[in-house]
Amino acid sequence: MAEKMTLGDRLAEHGVSRRAFVKYASWLGSLMALTPATSKAMAAELAKAKRQSVIWLSFQECTGCTEAITRSNGPTLEDLIFDFISLDYHHTLQAVSGEAIEEARHAAMKENKGKYVVIVDGSVPLKDGGIYSTTAGHSNYDTLIETAKDAFAIISVGTCAAYGGIPKANPNPTGAVSIGDIIKDKPVINIPGCPPIPEAMTGTVAYLLAFGKVPELDHLGRPKAFFGENIHDRCYRRPFYERGQFAKAFDDEGARNGWCLYEVGCKGPITYNACATMKWNGGVSFPIQSGHGCLGCSEPDFWDKGGFYVPLSGSIGPTAKLVGGAALAGAVAGVAAAAVARHRKSSLNKG
Amino acid sequence: MNADCAAPVAAASLADAVFAELATALVRLAETGEETVVDLKSLPFSPADLEALAARLGTGEVSCELEVAGRSEVRETSYSGIWWIRHIGGDGSAVVEEVVVARVPEILISHPDDVAFAARRMREAVEQTPTGETTAADEEDMSRG
Repeated sequence: MAEKMTLGDRLAEHGVSRRAFVKYASWLGSLMALTPATSKAMAAELAKAKRQSVIWLSFQECTGCTEAITRSNGPTLEDLIFDFISLDYHHTLQAVSGEAIEEARHAAMKENKGKYVVIVDGSVPLKDGGIYSTTAGHSNYDTLIETAKDAFAIISVGTCAAYGGIPKANPNPTGAVSIGDIIKDKPVINIPGCPPIPEAMTGTVAYLLAFGKVPELDHLGRPKAFFGENIHDRCYRRPFYERGQFAKAFDDEGARNGWCLYEVGCKGPITYNACATMKWNGGVSFPIQSGHGCLGCSEPDFWDKGGFYVPLSGSIGPTAKLVGGAALAGAVAGVAAAAVARHRKSSLNKG
Repeated sequence: MNADCAAPVAAASLADAVFAELATALVRLAETGEETVVDLKSLPFSPADLEALAARLGTGEVSCELEVAGRSEVRETSYSGIWWIRHIGGDGSAVVEEVVVARVPEILISHPDDVAFAARRMREAVEQTPTGETTAADEEDMSRG
């Protein structure tokens, strides 16, 4: 609902000083590679901001994205975001409230017209009039159009909302599309991943709240702060790739020695995400560190790229042609894929 | 699995580079008052690198522990104006680790809005203090004459 108090006053009433903002901003600044001056400005702006009204819509999804954000590494610094937002509506968490919560959604939209943020997880089915996913008697499409109309911005969390994800995988029986395929007149920020890294979700919301603007995005609508770097470029196994030392199977000597997982299907070279640097579960690990190749879950159509255990050289188009031959030549592979990665990064930065 | 296979950089070299950067930043602070923050998490520090840097910076006179949205540690190094700060996350590990070059780190300073809020609270506390009632301490004072 509409808030009169600033976040600073609100926390002060609960006995928490402005130091919380200094701390939160330095944490977020570290995650988003903000300059110290920007972090300082963020702390000041957050303290002056009002609680952000957020309406969370859940469409064709598995609830993994909600699980990821609500079970982020708390209950301390990382949980402050829940003091910064007013979660006025959440399809899944408030389902049992029935009509009352639908009224709350309409009230929040009216009171915060033009200011509220809509977070969507899940894709939208369009086939057969959108009957494959409905809430409160309305198709996801109708709910999205109605809710997004007066929003300040839309955040598509998870690969399903950002790019259609698994519901859109071949043969796409429900005619699933992404949020960006439907909403064309508002900023749509994509935070893909299956699920996304929680800090990428909360960090983006905090940035919107502090600066009142959309962070810099790449050509796929993702915040560059979290998706500007290639998994492969930041992978701790990269030196093995450069030396042409590859695991050929998950139980061979190469796998036991922690060599590069490229030949067992790792999609790191074509995937942009922060997994290799931020990691998961409070920085404990990420898939490659746990011995499995990257699935490329933050990229469009990751489910249909030829198989998780098929090397890139045998799975997809132009990249495969360039990298394929080089992979056979061991160490040369490193140079080829690094060139692809650099080219992609260069295009991304220009875009 | 061999998980510790970072690029073969000598443990001390990165610590030395950051130490030199901090020395330059400290000169800036002394001459112009400009503050600097070095985010240790953004650098490819190994535990050995961090230990080497901490050892070179040494320990100063001030050590603070904060409880604000979780625990934080602020420690002055043996070089006045260089502070080592750690913010601890829910699992007990450092979610932020930085070296701040400043006379006093911002997180230790009471924010003007907090001071104003505290002043209001304190004034209310004074106003709510019962007046005209004699306390046991007052009676003892009076009996002493």
